[in-house]
Amino acid sequence: MPASFEQVVTLDGDLHARPAGQLAVAAAKFTADISLTAGDKTANAKSVLAVMGLGATSGQNVTASAVGPDAEQAVAAVVAILADATKVGG
Amino acid sequence: MNPDATVGIVLVSHSAALAEGAADLASQVAGGPEGVAVVPAGGTDDGGLGTSEAKVADAIKRADRGAGVLIIPDLGSAVLTVRALLADPEDLPGRVELADAPFVEGVVAATVMAAAGVDIEAVRAAAEEAWNARKL
Repeated sequence: MPASFEQVVTLDGDLHARPAGQLAVAAAKFTADISLTAGDKTANAKSVLAVMGLGATSGQNVTASAVGPDAEQAVAAVVAILADATKVGG
Repeated sequence: MNPDATVGIVLVSHSAALAEGAADLASQVAGGPEGVAVVPAGGTDDGGLGTSEAKVADAIKRADRGAGVLIIPDLGSAVLTVRALLADPEDLPGRVELADAPFVEGVVAATVMAAAGVDIEAVRAAAEEAWNARKL
Protein backbone atom coordinates (compact mmCIF):
# COMPACT_ATOMS: atom_id res chain seq x y z
CA MET A 1 0.00 0.00 0.00
CA PRO A 2 1.69 3.25 -1.11
CA ALA A 3 1.91 6.16 1.28
CA SER A 4 -0.69 8.85 0.89
CA PHE A 5 -0.65 12.34 2.32
CA GLU A 6 -2.83 15.42 2.25
CA GLN A 7 -2.65 19.02 3.44
CA VAL A 8 -4.78 22.13 3.03
CA VAL A 9 -3.33 25.59 2.42
CA THR A 10 -5.09 28.95 2.15
CA LEU A 11 -3.79 31.06 -0.72
CA ASP A 12 -2.40 34.53 -0.05
CA GLY A 13 -2.79 35.51 -3.68
CA ASP A 14 -4.17 34.27 -6.97
CA LEU A 15 -2.52 31.25 -8.53
CA HIS A 16 -1.04 32.95 -11.60
CA ALA A 17 1.10 31.53 -14.37
CA ARG A 18 4.49 31.87 -12.69
CA PRO A 19 3.63 30.22 -9.37
CA ALA A 20 1.74 27.53 -11.31
CA GLY A 21 4.90 26.90 -13.34
CA GLN A 22 7.08 26.83 -10.26
CA LEU A 23 4.69 24.37 -8.64
CA ALA A 24 4.56 22.04 -11.66
CA VAL A 25 8.36 22.06 -12.05
CA ALA A 26 8.71 21.02 -8.39
CA ALA A 27 5.89 18.46 -8.54
CA ALA A 28 7.24 16.75 -11.67
CA LYS A 29 10.42 15.84 -9.79
CA PHE A 30 8.51 13.49 -7.44
CA THR A 31 7.45 9.92 -8.12
CA ALA A 32 4.13 10.29 -6.28
CA ASP A 33 0.93 11.25 -8.08
CA ILE A 34 0.07 14.70 -6.78
CA SER A 35 -3.24 16.48 -7.14
CA LEU A 36 -4.58 19.86 -6.16
CA THR A 37 -8.22 20.52 -5.39
CA ALA A 38 -9.70 24.01 -5.28
CA GLY A 39 -13.47 24.34 -5.01
CA ASP A 40 -14.99 21.76 -7.35
CA LYS A 41 -11.90 21.41 -9.57
CA THR A 42 -9.03 18.97 -9.24
CA ALA A 43 -5.78 19.17 -11.20
CA ASN A 44 -2.69 17.06 -11.69
CA ALA A 45 0.00 19.16 -9.96
CA LYS A 46 2.57 18.09 -12.56
CA SER A 47 0.58 19.74 -15.37
CA VAL A 48 1.12 23.50 -15.43
CA LEU A 49 -1.90 23.95 -17.71
CA ALA A 50 -4.15 22.00 -15.34
CA VAL A 51 -2.84 23.96 -12.34
CA MET A 52 -3.52 27.26 -14.12
CA GLY A 53 -6.94 25.91 -15.11
CA LEU A 54 -7.92 25.58 -11.45
CA GLY A 55 -8.39 29.34 -11.40
CA ALA A 56 -7.55 29.34 -7.69
CA THR A 57 -7.77 32.77 -6.10
CA SER A 58 -6.64 34.59 -2.99
CA GLY A 59 -8.27 33.33 0.20
CA GLN A 60 -9.30 30.03 -1.34
CA ASN A 61 -8.39 26.74 0.33
CA VAL A 62 -6.38 24.38 -1.84
CA THR A 63 -5.95 20.73 -0.87
CA ALA A 64 -2.70 19.11 -1.96
CA SER A 65 -2.78 15.32 -1.90
CA ALA A 66 -0.25 12.77 -3.02
CA VAL A 67 -0.02 9.01 -3.30
CA GLY A 68 3.31 7.25 -3.73
CA PRO A 69 6.61 6.52 -2.03
CA ASP A 70 7.57 10.20 -1.65
CA ALA A 71 4.03 11.48 -1.01
CA GLU A 72 4.86 13.29 2.23
CA GLN A 73 7.81 15.21 0.74
CA ALA A 74 5.77 15.95 -2.38
CA VAL A 75 2.91 17.49 -0.41
CA ALA A 76 5.36 19.51 1.71
CA ALA A 77 7.08 20.89 -1.39
CA VAL A 78 3.83 21.79 -3.13
CA VAL A 79 2.32 23.40 -0.02
CA ALA A 80 5.48 25.47 0.52
CA ILE A 81 5.23 26.82 -3.02
CA LEU A 82 1.50 27.52 -2.70
CA ALA A 83 2.10 29.38 0.55
CA ASP A 84 5.06 31.37 -0.75
CA ALA A 85 4.61 31.94 -4.44
CA THR A 86 1.07 33.24 -4.22
CA LYS A 87 2.29 36.10 -2.01
CA VAL A 88 4.12 37.73 -4.93
CA GLY A 89 1.57 37.03 -7.65
CA GLY A 90 2.80 36.86 -11.22
CA MET B 1 22.67 10.79 -20.40
CA ASN B 2 24.11 13.45 -18.11
CA PRO B 3 21.67 13.80 -15.16
CA ASP B 4 21.94 17.59 -15.39
CA ALA B 5 21.07 17.61 -19.09
CA THR B 6 17.69 19.10 -19.95
CA VAL B 7 15.59 18.79 -23.07
CA GLY B 8 15.86 21.86 -25.30
CA ILE B 9 12.81 23.39 -26.98
CA VAL B 10 12.67 25.03 -30.40
CA LEU B 11 9.68 27.15 -31.41
CA VAL B 12 9.05 27.32 -35.14
CA SER B 13 6.66 30.09 -36.08
CA HIS B 14 5.81 31.99 -39.24
CA SER B 15 6.31 35.13 -37.17
CA ALA B 16 9.59 36.00 -35.45
CA ALA B 17 7.69 38.09 -32.89
CA LEU B 18 5.32 35.22 -32.09
CA ALA B 19 8.18 32.73 -31.61
CA GLU B 20 10.13 35.17 -29.43
CA GLY B 21 7.09 36.09 -27.34
CA ALA B 22 6.09 32.47 -26.77
CA ALA B 23 9.66 31.57 -25.82
CA ASP B 24 9.82 34.46 -23.37
CA LEU B 25 6.47 33.54 -21.77
CA ALA B 26 7.32 29.84 -21.43
CA SER B 27 10.72 30.60 -20.03
CA GLN B 28 9.24 32.94 -17.39
CA VAL B 29 6.56 30.44 -16.37
CA ALA B 30 9.19 27.70 -16.03
CA GLY B 31 11.34 29.78 -13.69
CA GLY B 32 13.54 31.95 -15.88
CA PRO B 33 15.88 31.71 -18.85
CA GLU B 34 18.72 30.04 -16.94
CA GLY B 35 16.69 26.83 -16.54
CA VAL B 36 15.82 25.52 -19.99
CA ALA B 37 16.95 26.45 -23.50
CA VAL B 38 13.84 27.69 -25.31
CA VAL B 39 14.99 28.96 -28.67
CA PRO B 40 12.74 30.84 -31.12
CA ALA B 41 13.04 30.21 -34.86
CA GLY B 42 10.49 32.53 -36.45
CA GLY B 43 10.17 34.20 -39.82
CA THR B 44 12.07 33.85 -43.07
CA ASP B 45 15.77 34.55 -43.61
CA ASP B 46 14.94 38.04 -44.89
CA GLY B 47 12.74 38.85 -41.90
CA GLY B 48 9.34 38.24 -43.48
CA LEU B 49 6.48 35.98 -42.42
CA GLY B 50 7.28 32.33 -43.08
CA THR B 51 9.69 29.69 -41.89
CA SER B 52 13.34 28.99 -42.58
CA GLU B 53 15.19 25.68 -42.49
CA ALA B 54 18.43 27.52 -41.76
CA LYS B 55 16.91 29.30 -38.75
CA VAL B 56 15.46 26.06 -37.41
CA ALA B 57 18.77 24.21 -37.84
CA ASP B 58 20.62 26.97 -36.00
CA ALA B 59 18.00 27.02 -33.21
CA ILE B 60 18.27 23.24 -32.74
CA LYS B 61 22.02 23.52 -32.24
CA ARG B 62 21.59 26.33 -29.73
CA ALA B 63 18.86 24.44 -27.82
CA ASP B 64 20.84 21.21 -27.48
CA ARG B 65 21.83 20.51 -23.86
CA GLY B 66 22.50 16.81 -24.31
CA ALA B 67 19.02 15.40 -23.62
CA GLY B 68 17.43 15.94 -27.03
CA VAL B 69 15.52 18.77 -28.63
CA LEU B 70 11.74 19.03 -29.01
CA ILE B 71 10.43 21.17 -31.87
CA ILE B 72 7.00 22.80 -31.62
CA PRO B 73 5.60 24.30 -34.85
CA ASP B 74 2.83 26.90 -35.07
CA LEU B 75 0.93 26.12 -38.27
CA GLY B 76 0.93 23.88 -41.35
CA SER B 77 3.95 24.80 -43.42
CA ALA B 78 6.17 25.15 -40.33
CA VAL B 79 5.70 21.38 -40.08
CA LEU B 80 6.87 20.96 -43.69
CA THR B 81 9.99 23.04 -43.02
CA VAL B 82 10.87 20.96 -39.97
CA ARG B 83 10.19 17.66 -41.73
CA ALA B 84 12.41 18.65 -44.65
CA LEU B 85 15.21 19.44 -42.22
CA LEU B 86 14.77 16.23 -40.20
CA ALA B 87 14.82 14.13 -43.37
CA ASP B 88 18.55 14.83 -43.60
CA PRO B 89 19.65 14.94 -39.95
CA GLU B 90 23.43 14.44 -40.20
CA ASP B 91 24.37 17.82 -38.77
CA LEU B 92 21.77 17.75 -35.99
CA PRO B 93 22.33 16.66 -32.39
CA GLY B 94 21.34 13.13 -31.34
CA ARG B 95 17.64 13.20 -30.76
CA VAL B 96 15.35 15.75 -32.34
CA GLU B 97 11.58 15.28 -32.28
CA LEU B 98 8.62 17.16 -33.67
CA ALA B 99 5.59 17.60 -31.37
CA ASP B 100 1.96 17.80 -32.44
CA ALA B 101 0.80 20.41 -29.94
CA PRO B 102 -1.08 23.70 -29.65
CA PHE B 103 1.56 26.43 -29.87
CA VAL B 104 1.26 28.52 -26.69
CA GLU B 105 -0.06 25.84 -24.35
CA GLY B 106 2.25 23.18 -25.76
CA VAL B 107 5.33 25.36 -25.44
CA VAL B 108 4.50 26.33 -21.85
CA ALA B 109 3.73 22.72 -20.82
CA ALA B 110 6.87 21.37 -22.51
CA THR B 111 9.16 24.02 -21.03
CA VAL B 112 7.88 23.41 -17.50
CA MET B 113 8.49 19.67 -17.84
CA ALA B 114 11.94 20.23 -19.34
CA ALA B 115 12.76 22.46 -16.35
CA ALA B 116 11.88 19.54 -14.06
CA GLY B 117 14.57 17.50 -15.81
CA VAL B 118 12.38 14.76 -17.29
CA ASP B 119 13.26 12.96 -20.55
CA ILE B 120 12.17 13.91 -24.06
CA GLU B 121 9.27 11.41 -24.16
CA ALA B 122 7.74 13.05 -21.06
CA VAL B 123 8.35 16.56 -22.39
CA ARG B 124 6.72 15.65 -25.70
CA ALA B 125 3.78 13.96 -23.92
CA ALA B 126 3.18 17.12 -21.85
CA ALA B 127 3.16 19.24 -25.00
CA GLU B 128 0.76 16.91 -26.82
CA GLU B 129 -1.55 16.55 -23.80
CA ALA B 130 -2.01 20.31 -23.98
CA TRP B 131 -4.74 19.71 -26.58
CA ASN B 132 -6.91 18.56 -23.64
CA ALA B 133 -6.31 21.53 -21.35
CA ARG B 134 -9.37 23.72 -20.92
CA LYS B 135 -9.06 27.37 -20.03
CA LEU B 136 -12.50 27.74 -18.45
